[in-house]
Amino acid sequence: MKITRRDILAGTAGLAAAPLAGPAMAQSRAETLRQVTGNTVNTLDPTMPGSTREAFGISVNIYDRLVSFGRKQSGAGWVFDPDTIRGELAERVETSADGTTFTFHLRRDAKFHDGTPVTAEDVKWSLDRHVSARSLAAVQIQTGSWTRAEQFRIIDQHTVEARVERPDRLALPNLCTLYCIIINSKVAKAHATAEDPWAQNWLKDNAAGSGAYMAESFKPGEQVILRRNDNWKGSPDGKLPFFRRIINQTIPEAATRANLIERGDADLSIDLQASDVPTLAQRPRVKVVSTPQFNAFTMVAFNTRMAPFDNIKLRQAVAAALPYGDIFKAALFERGAALFGADWSETPPTARFPQPLPMKTNLARARALMAEAGFPNGLDTTFSFNVGSAATSEPMAALIKESLARIGIRIEIQKLPDAQISTLVTEKKLPFLTETSIAWLPSTDYFFRNFFTGEQRWNYSSWNNAEITALTAKARFEQDAAEYDRLCRRMIAVLAEEVPLILLWQPNQDAVMTQAIDGYTYQYHRQVDYRDLRRA
Amino acid sequence: MRGIAGRAGRRFLSSLPALLGVLVFTFLLMRVLPGDPAIFFASGPNAGQAEIEDIRRRMGLDKPVPEQLLLYLRDVATGNLGRSMTTGQPVLNDLRGRLPASLELTFCALLIALVLAVPLGILAALRPGSLLDHGVRMLCTLGVCVPTFVSGLLLIYVLYYLLGIAPDPTGRIDIFASQPPTVTGFLLVDAALAGDWEAWWAAASQLVLPACTMALFVLAPLARMTRASMLAVLTSDFVRTGEALGLSRRRVILVYALRNALLPVITIMGIVFSTMLGANVLVEKVFSWPGVASYALDALLSSDYAPVQGFVLLMASIFVLVNLVVDLLYGLADPRVSIG
Repeated sequence: MKITRRDILAGTAGLAAAPLAGPAMAQSRAETLRQVTGNTVNTLDPTMPGSTREAFGISVNIYDRLVSFGRKQSGAGWVFDPDTIRGELAERVETSADGTTFTFHLRRDAKFHDGTPVTAEDVKWSLDRHVSARSLAAVQIQTGSWTRAEQFRIIDQHTVEARVERPDRLALPNLCTLYCIIINSKVAKAHATAEDPWAQNWLKDNAAGSGAYMAESFKPGEQVILRRNDNWKGSPDGKLPFFRRIINQTIPEAATRANLIERGDADLSIDLQASDVPTLAQRPRVKVVSTPQFNAFTMVAFNTRMAPFDNIKLRQAVAAALPYGDIFKAALFERGAALFGADWSETPPTARFPQPLPMKTNLARARALMAEAGFPNGLDTTFSFNVGSAATSEPMAALIKESLARIGIRIEIQKLPDAQISTLVTEKKLPFLTETSIAWLPSTDYFFRNFFTGEQRWNYSSWNNAEITALTAKARFEQDAAEYDRLCRRMIAVLAEEVPLILLWQPNQDAVMTQAIDGYTYQYHRQVDYRDLRRA
Repeated sequence: MRGIAGRAGRRFLSSLPALLGVLVFTFLLMRVLPGDPAIFFASGPNAGQAEIEDIRRRMGLDKPVPEQLLLYLRDVATGNLGRSMTTGQPVLNDLRGRLPASLELTFCALLIALVLAVPLGILAALRPGSLLDHGVRMLCTLGVCVPTFVSGLLLIYVLYYLLGIAPDPTGRIDIFASQPPTVTGFLLVDAALAGDWEAWWAAASQLVLPACTMALFVLAPLARMTRASMLAVLTSDFVRTGEALGLSRRRVILVYALRNALLPVITIMGIVFSTMLGANVLVEKVFSWPGVASYALDALLSSDYAPVQGFVLLMASIFVLVNLVVDLLYGLADPRVSIG
């Protein structure tokens, strides 16, 4: 047998086409997006207690909500826009003049993945579930005054009405969050049991949604594969998402994830090591979209209910002693937006939060404050951080230790595993720590309510200030924009004066992708919304 | 044959108290460790005491420890290992899905290690003090000294990143290849059963790097033990007799000397196998291998009790089993040895 060049070419082409022949391979590589992540998707139901952030990201694409946040251009990339709310399953929303009643008109052509239409009954059942079942949803949406099933009423097959008692500013934004998924109630009810009336066990491993993607395979801790729902109607422009197939794969080793992207075998990763990102950005095949996480902040918090940091003067002394610029450089390579060094005093220039506070390094002032605080001989304390954040927290802790030694505060650094530090924070046993936290709904009163009042874990400094508590309670229902603005500025001013915690920065989210990927949007949940992406 | 089965059964029964001890010890140890899983998993914005209590109740942690222990023992006896909070799945399912991955990797690594170590050990023993002996010693020392995550990353960097020979080092099979239907869970076996040689090749090429990384690490104990044991045997009377009778050198070494030198190697092999299975967590992490060790580590970091307890129980059972197999192998290598 004579082998010609033509035979070899044909053979090679056949070999190259072979892997695409299987039924699962019906879509080409170009229409497949492969995201690699260090964490795992542990459930398809985002409201399950213990859901991971990656599980949130997947659920956004599998389920629709009634309404959703829009997006806007910011710098070189896109970010979510909390001020624009668009319909997703709802075609339009009417808000009553007093701001207490929302009428949702459902899309008539919307269908669940099994082909049945989305009805008012499904919406009512899903919302009832979110306020009634023991899940993450109930605690989140109570921040928007959603607490009882009676608040949701079916008007007709395509219309649902939702009421709050007082016009809560966050009522509608809360329905945009990823907990407020609309579930196929017929399917879910078929799998509900007497002990589990909301089918929580079944929905962990099975999806019953109407979203842009359907779960094709779900292996917790390994990978999730999504297939596009070609009957999806929820997009803002009526178009289907670009990618037909999504692979979300768990790869624990950050270096391997970076290699995969550099070689073009994977398309996207949002959790690479910050120190690798500048090098990666130099590579010809790689694109980095860096967005300051404007709804997050990194801070060092004091325990304001425990000696010694119940002393305001001492907290102010520490705030004047920290080497902000050095920490920002050494720990974060300045990859983020600084939240220190502002020039205002008394009243902040805007009502936005987080915004830079007037914290500056001034050792002379710090020493004077130490004396005023009643610690002329200094003191000993510990500074704790989470092992998971060691890459930034370790250099930070070293610099804080060094600079506070100059004003007589001797620090012992404590590096704690995740479960252990969350236990200690919740029990309010740590005097001084660093954390990064995020709020899905970036409005100032929401930040203050969650982080600066109450007994929950998020009040890292256990701050209990009567004025702040009163201000947040008022701002929540304030309809007048100017008055809301005034209340928020006052809250920020009190925060800067009393320093229950010191804001440091908003870290960038570095989304590293191959050159061809386009449209990446920074979302409030800090995960990838595959519906935004396309391959150029 | 009945005798062997009976002895194996007796051995298994006598190991039950040890397994029970391991079970109780791990159970107590997990509860002594700092870190409250209920708090860790209650991560909502307003996760207050009520939510934490609720999760604690779901995990059964609201009851006194002795009661928890009794309930746990009852569950284990009925084949229920609890549910993992990290993956949201029953632990038994997780372990059943992941154990074949770990076993496949470990078996292959052990095979590679044996194929390399035994000849190297024999060669080194035949010419002690020679350049070859020193070379083998150096190779072994290197293998032991370099931590597996370093050698793993190095192999990935050279063979995948720089040269592009190896497939991307992520998981058991190329993510774009179709998986063979699951029968045993061992991909190589399943693919062969299905006659899907393309999948077999995809799985095998994915296996090479992690298996070599692990093999490199356990080369030393196997090769050194073979060498030492061969050296002792080669100076014994029966080898001298064999040589005096004019038997071929090959026959003397491979048939008479090696078989007699194998006993300690088999012992070490059993130990090496058990260690590899539990200690390959770094290799599993580096190569995103969906095995049991990385599963247990993730669970441990989030104080997820059930998977860790299940993992330790599994490892203890495997250890018992491996010891049994090793004892049976003794009999094959040297009929004079019998287990009681």
